[in-house]
Amino acid sequence: MNKLNYLLAAFVGLGLSVAQAQTPKGSVLIKNATVLTVTKGNLENSDVLVQDGVIKQIGKNIAAPSGVQTIDATGKFLMPGIIDAHSHVALDVVNEASSPITSEVRMKDVVNPFEIGIYRALAGGVTISHAMHGSANVVGGQNATLKHRWGAKDPADIIMQDAPRTIKFALGENPTRVHGRGNGIQPRTRMGVEAVLRNGFSEALQYKKAWETYNAAKAQKGNTVTPPVYNERLQTLADILDGKIIIHCHSYRADEIYMLINVAKDFNIKKLVFQHTNEGFKVAPEIAEYTMGASVFADWWAYKMEVYYSTAFNAAILQRNGAITSINSDSAELIRHLYHEAAKTQRYGGLTDDEALAMITINPAKQLGIDDKVGSIEVGKQADLVIFESHPLSSYAVPQMTFVDGVKYFDIKSDKDDQRQLVAATEMVEPIFLRANEEAHRCMQDVDAYFEAFQGAFLEEKH
Amino acid sequence: MKKQFLKAGWLGLLAAGILTHAAWGQSDPTGKRRVTSTYAITNATVITSPGQPGSKATVVFKDGVILGVGSGIQIPKEAKVFAGDSLFIYPGFIDGAGNMGITKPKDPERPKDFVSSNPPDEIAGITPWRSATEQFSASSSQVDDWRKAGFTISQVIPDGGMLPGKAAIMVLGAGNATNLIQINSGLAANFRGSRGMYPATAAGVMAKFRDVYQNSTLALEHEKMYASTAGVKRPQVTPTQQGMAAVVQKQIPVIFTAPSDLEIRRAIALQKEFGFKLILSGLENYETVIDLIKSTGTPVLIKLQVPDDKAVKAQKSEGVTEDTKAQYARVKEAYENALKQAAMLEKAGIAFAFTTIDAKAGDAMKTIQTLVKNGLSEKAALAALTSNPASILGISRVAGTIEKGKMANLVITTDSLFKEDSQIKHVVADGFVFDFEVKKKAANGNGKTDGAPAGSVEGVWEYTSETPAGSSGGEIVLKRTNGVLSGTISYDDPAGSGKVTSPIKNASVNGKTLSFEFDVNAGGLSLTVSITGEINGNSMEGSLSVPQMGSFPVKATLSSPSLSN
Repeated sequence: MNKLNYLLAAFVGLGLSVAQAQTPKGSVLIKNATVLTVTKGNLENSDVLVQDGVIKQIGKNIAAPSGVQTIDATGKFLMPGIIDAHSHVALDVVNEASSPITSEVRMKDVVNPFEIGIYRALAGGVTISHAMHGSANVVGGQNATLKHRWGAKDPADIIMQDAPRTIKFALGENPTRVHGRGNGIQPRTRMGVEAVLRNGFSEALQYKKAWETYNAAKAQKGNTVTPPVYNERLQTLADILDGKIIIHCHSYRADEIYMLINVAKDFNIKKLVFQHTNEGFKVAPEIAEYTMGASVFADWWAYKMEVYYSTAFNAAILQRNGAITSINSDSAELIRHLYHEAAKTQRYGGLTDDEALAMITINPAKQLGIDDKVGSIEVGKQADLVIFESHPLSSYAVPQMTFVDGVKYFDIKSDKDDQRQLVAATEMVEPIFLRANEEAHRCMQDVDAYFEAFQGAFLEEKH
Repeated sequence: MKKQFLKAGWLGLLAAGILTHAAWGQSDPTGKRRVTSTYAITNATVITSPGQPGSKATVVFKDGVILGVGSGIQIPKEAKVFAGDSLFIYPGFIDGAGNMGITKPKDPERPKDFVSSNPPDEIAGITPWRSATEQFSASSSQVDDWRKAGFTISQVIPDGGMLPGKAAIMVLGAGNATNLIQINSGLAANFRGSRGMYPATAAGVMAKFRDVYQNSTLALEHEKMYASTAGVKRPQVTPTQQGMAAVVQKQIPVIFTAPSDLEIRRAIALQKEFGFKLILSGLENYETVIDLIKSTGTPVLIKLQVPDDKAVKAQKSEGVTEDTKAQYARVKEAYENALKQAAMLEKAGIAFAFTTIDAKAGDAMKTIQTLVKNGLSEKAALAALTSNPASILGISRVAGTIEKGKMANLVITTDSLFKEDSQIKHVVADGFVFDFEVKKKAANGNGKTDGAPAGSVEGVWEYTSETPAGSSGGEIVLKRTNGVLSGTISYDDPAGSGKVTSPIKNASVNGKTLSFEFDVNAGGLSLTVSITGEINGNSMEGSLSVPQMGSFPVKATLSSPSLSN
């Protein structure tokens, strides 16, 4: 980095610390851990000093500045906070499923900081999740990148304010089922999906032009050009074309993945990440060449027709073809053990420790556009950290403590039975049964109404 | 609905005509014509505004306007005079936002080319041009119920979707008048989506709100250009944009229904984006946003209800695990905290008011008493019912306190409002006097104003009462001197053996109901015991109530003279 960049970085950093003055920042010295930096190798018996939420020093025999708490992590592993690039935790609304394009909808409007899923994610070492709109629409709403500052009451305090904008797209069966078969409008087929995208972007170009014309004319005397109709839906699509928003696209089949790559090329869109991407292995070189990679399940498929052709080697194949690859949860349950999910890439594909850990740290950080701030243990990065008992890729791994911005939000030793922030005054306390929640995956939440008239015509599966 | 409203308006005008033109000399075929529209309530305890100590005064009002309050007020000769000696008078209550008397308009038929992704505004619940006046009926039984609970003014909110229409401030006077104080007093809004069409969720509603707001602003800009510059294309302002104009010009507030803290934050976030005037309504859970409400200075209307205690009451004390007990404790804590929220608003210095939406009129005073028990001061409670809503609705000039020149809206109670036994006996709204039956158990009146014929209860009554301590009894002696009922009662001496006698006070007969009180000295402790009973010929059945102990059945028979003689 040259001097000018340093100055700029200092400036930007300063601005950010002002903007985020309200969220807590901690200071802590973690001693004698095996530090898994992910990007800079492993450091045995090393210390990490965090001050005011930022990693200040990494090395041996670091002395704690006065007032800074020391945590002895002898025999334990320290890794960067896990980042989940596909989640619906802490959202009051997931799908505004009523239109094929709803790019004007913002998940940041409906973040719910009280959802217990945040704490459970912290207990699994996850410090950042990408709270996405659902997959009912070709272009869904704008997503929110969350920092798991459990205990915050203001949604703004768990939104990662310095993360770039991202938006949800969806191809294939979900949008064609909801809008085409469910509602009798375009898209009914994959061709329709492409048409919706191309029409949308073309309209966005016209919209942008109309406003440019108006803005140029309005200051002039005797101007007769009237303001165009405001349309945040098209404005958001225009922002995508201007490179201001990263697309995260729900996709399964190789043909539809390649279709979107071609659409992106035609409209000169560079910021594109594929989600799920079960057939990504078939188009791995194309994904690697043109996009910001793919975020996939470790080994989960066959829940509907378009997700039958899959392999647990998907992540490894994508990775070794040079695509940025991450493993995500899309689930309030899987999010609690993403380190196990990452370890599966070693069983299926023989990835190295660093490659496997990158799948849940620096790689998703890159896909969310936040890799300059989080995703690895490096001096200057935000101190999102997890201390593990056993290596995180081991079957015996258990997260012990989870920090966000140097503040400890989870400690297995002070983990109370009831960690809920809010309890309703009218809650009937019922006996608790331990069983899996079949509806844990919320990609198609809030869509039920669209199927009522067509009950029986569709599979119950909703991913 | 609109036609009905117009008709009601005509009727109102007609009625007003009859009332003010008594000189017409025509008989009133409806039989509803008032003898006079001037009233005086004399020598009552009048609390003119929250925090004022009650002082004995006379209130005179005419044609719905207060002519004077105080002692030594001249009473016009045409006034109907009420003796208010035992009564308490408060300013009429004001409902910050309500849906009493509102009937939801029929959903319009869907057009043949209806597409749920882009529905017409009217079908999607976006109808800011509508007015609550078109949906309101002052003669609805809900209006009667709320008036009975002391409410004299309500800002009624139209029923509908995310932007149902404009609110209107109504006085809850006679059912045959227009009752309108202010039309288009605010724009109702909520986060409720339209089922099965755009916008379907709170996220969609927020996006659509931004769209509607921005385009309404642009439409006004376009209109301005059209008016000032030649060659500008004709503006095509939609009914929605027209309905939004007063909001984007910051003339009227958006009344956002936001029950939870997260919804409150969402409404305030939209307000910050656009700078419109905002009133938050329907608040239920707001403990975590009190600072935000305070710092933004947003007026708030909290629900006039407390959470259902069913869950707390269903908690079992035996046969449950420690885990369940811990969960119980959290629910209980949440319940108790919920009751304290209003007091927390007061502590933060927020001049809140109430909305009657979702609340039960019959429980209103009980709710207020619960809030007072949980830390809300009586002054703040009264302010939330009177002066605060007047100020939030911008009608302080005419309502909210009892003052000369303000509307004759009064709540008249049998005792200090916050006493558990206090009951609303009359409500004056728009100068119309509404009388309510006072329940038997409350002792009221001083023997002067009861309507029973003198002599009907005079004599010696032998009574027995059943208490957990056993059966006891004695004699009640009643007589009337100069129309005032007085007497004595004997009972088993609580301090020893034998009988003691106490004088009877506050005796009154209301219809068939006899009630009176007497003081008992029980080991240095003075208790006021009250007896209320229904007289049937020579016998009386009723209850005897002892403070902090409860009420017990009492029976009596008139032994001399017998009425049948």
